[in-house]
Amino acid sequence: MRSAEPSSGRTLQRARLMALFALLLLGAAAAPAQPQAAGAAALDLPTLEERLRNTSAIGLFTKLSLKNQVDDLIAQFRAFHAGRRSPTLAQLRERFELLLLKVVTLLQDDDPALASAVNASREALWEVLSDPKKFADV
Amino acid sequence: MRLRLSLCAIPLLAMLGAHPARAADAAFAKDLKATIALQGLPCDQIVDSKRNADSDYNAACKDGNRYHIFVDPAGRVVVKKL
Repeated sequence: MRSAEPSSGRTLQRARLMALFALLLLGAAAAPAQPQAAGAAALDLPTLEERLRNTSAIGLFTKLSLKNQVDDLIAQFRAFHAGRRSPTLAQLRERFELLLLKVVTLLQDDDPALASAVNASREALWEVLSDPKKFADV
Repeated sequence: MRLRLSLCAIPLLAMLGAHPARAADAAFAKDLKATIALQGLPCDQIVDSKRNADSDYNAACKDGNRYHIFVDPAGRVVVKKL
């Protein structure tokens, strides 16, 4: 997997995107505790991170494709918080739900516990993404 | 008797055929299929795949669709219909 040679600013941006990617896929541990869905495992962030890295439920190409889509969505949230009004917050919510659905679908057969953990983090993740202050802190 | 033995041999051979390399192939086919689906493109089942280079594959689906799947220099997964 290759990537373009980044500048230091770009490196920082990528690091922040990766951090949010981890949050998106692993659950927003930094956010306040949310009610867990039935059967969802309550795991801390490092454990969840490790599990996603090690899960064989999602292949490498698929993980990279998901990362691309997460990056795209984050760019849209960034533009929204910077004042751009299209896509709207309602449209962003729809795209967020769709992306989360894809992740859960990919995990649910071969790693149902991780799928539950991601699903249980839905609202906490949305709070981080939709709140300009929380989003800026990520 | 010989026929019964032959019939017993079929599932045994099938089990023996499920070696790790096949499992790895199945996992990779699943990866390619999921990648195609994530781009919103149709593929019911991967029936063949060919490696062109690192992170660069051609895949054929049972429904006749064929795709070029690769990672571009920006790190994006690209799926092109062939």
